Amino acid sequence: MKKIVTTLLVAGALSVTLSAKNWVVNQKGKTFIPSKLTVHVGDTITFDNSDPFAHNAYTDDEANEFDVGMQPTGKETHMKIKSKESFNVECAIHPNMLLEVTVE
Amino acid sequence: MIIKLGLSALLISSTLFATSDMSKWIRPNEVPQPKDNKLTKDRIELGKLLYFDKRLSASDKISCATCHAPKRGWTDLVPVSKAVGAGRGPRNSPTVLNTAYLRRLFWDGRAKSLEQQALGPIEADVEMNMPLEVLIPKLQKIQGYVKLFNKAYPNEGGINNKTLAKAIASFERTVLSTTAPFDKYAMGDTKAISKKAAKGYKVFIGKAHCADCHDKFNFTDGSFHNIGLKDGDLQGKDLGRYNLKRRAAWYGVFKTPTLRDVTKSGPYFHDGSVKTLTEAATICASGGRYKNGVKNKSTYIEDRHLTQTEISQIVAFMKTLTGPDMKLKIPTKFPQ
Ligand SMILES: [Cu+2]
Repeated sequence: MKKIVTTLLVAGALSVTLSAKNWVVNQKGKTFIPSKLTVHVGDTITFDNSDPFAHNAYTDDEANEFDVGMQPTGKETHMKIKSKESFNVECAIHPNMLLEVTVE
Repeated sequence: MIIKLGLSALLISSTLFATSDMSKWIRPNEVPQPKDNKLTKDRIELGKLLYFDKRLSASDKISCATCHAPKRGWTDLVPVSKAVGAGRGPRNSPTVLNTAYLRRLFWDGRAKSLEQQALGPIEADVEMNMPLEVLIPKLQKIQGYVKLFNKAYPNEGGINNKTLAKAIASFERTVLSTTAPFDKYAMGDTKAISKKAAKGYKVFIGKAHCADCHDKFNFTDGSFHNIGLKDGDLQGKDLGRYNLKRRAAWYGVFKTPTLRDVTKSGPYFHDGSVKTLTEAATICASGGRYKNGVKNKSTYIEDRHLTQTEISQIVAFMKTLTGPDMKLKIPTKFPQ
């Protein structure tokens, strides 16, 4: 019985690790593409920038707070989903840019 | 309610259609309105009365229109505004024109709607200096206003902070630019602007990179930048959006203003430090007033190596963004 539980635990841990996904969000035409994402805790988001000028993705949501800083054309930045709370990502330069992240 | 944009504007949005590369300059079909404050005639008319009513200030001498005057490009044409008493506000009075399209208000973007914005200057000691806990009872004693508020906002508790803000915001949403020569040009009338201005347009969207920020119908993308107006760091000076939150990207940044009717609304920039469009365009397209050592200067501000001719072409183009004043009957009688 103990062995089975251990195996299940290991399998459970593995499946979490295996299912952690990386989502790619591009910043193009001063919009986040896509503009909505559904993710899980442990997933990561990669921000690309295809615009000929800089962006600066961030959220003020406390549980998943991040600020990638100034991101020039072509550079890649990342953030990790730390908490099961949905949040909005904005651009510090362009407040009209909005990415809605639902954490499941 | 659909706002009448005037015959020429209607013509532009429905009868004709723009060539694809020009389409982004065309007026959106609808004026954005919040769900809980849709435009109605009663709300707009009430808001207009409040906007022009000097009794909204502590001195009974200042209205919204004092610093945002329709005949002065919806601003006041001075670097920074005179306040109640002797003080002066720290920033240039921004135009009310086309604020309906903005998602951040004030130079530092601290308000997310016109409703949030409207009450700020009424209470600010350097502006109308009128605490709402004094103003609301004052307005509640004016029977004419009690009636108008109940009609415009039935079941919303009569005259209160919220309905006051909503009414003023409703009027402000109707302060819209009219059809300017460039709008006709964008619709295919190649003779609507001079050859010089047409060259200026090409420089504006191309070599000078103006449209990186002064983008779309309202000639602003709502972005925030530090354009290097001040030397070095800003100790003891206006920190702009950084005052809201100590975010590195917000150090000394201010809102990109509209260029609609820009010839009517000088002097320019958040501190009103620039008198002419030539100087403004030169600063933006040459890497800022101060080229080096400016903390957090926007990477959008670079020396674009423009010639004097190109600057004057851009200025000629910007002048084509001015249309006739909107039709407006300024109230002379106020509720008693
Ligand atoms: Cu951006």
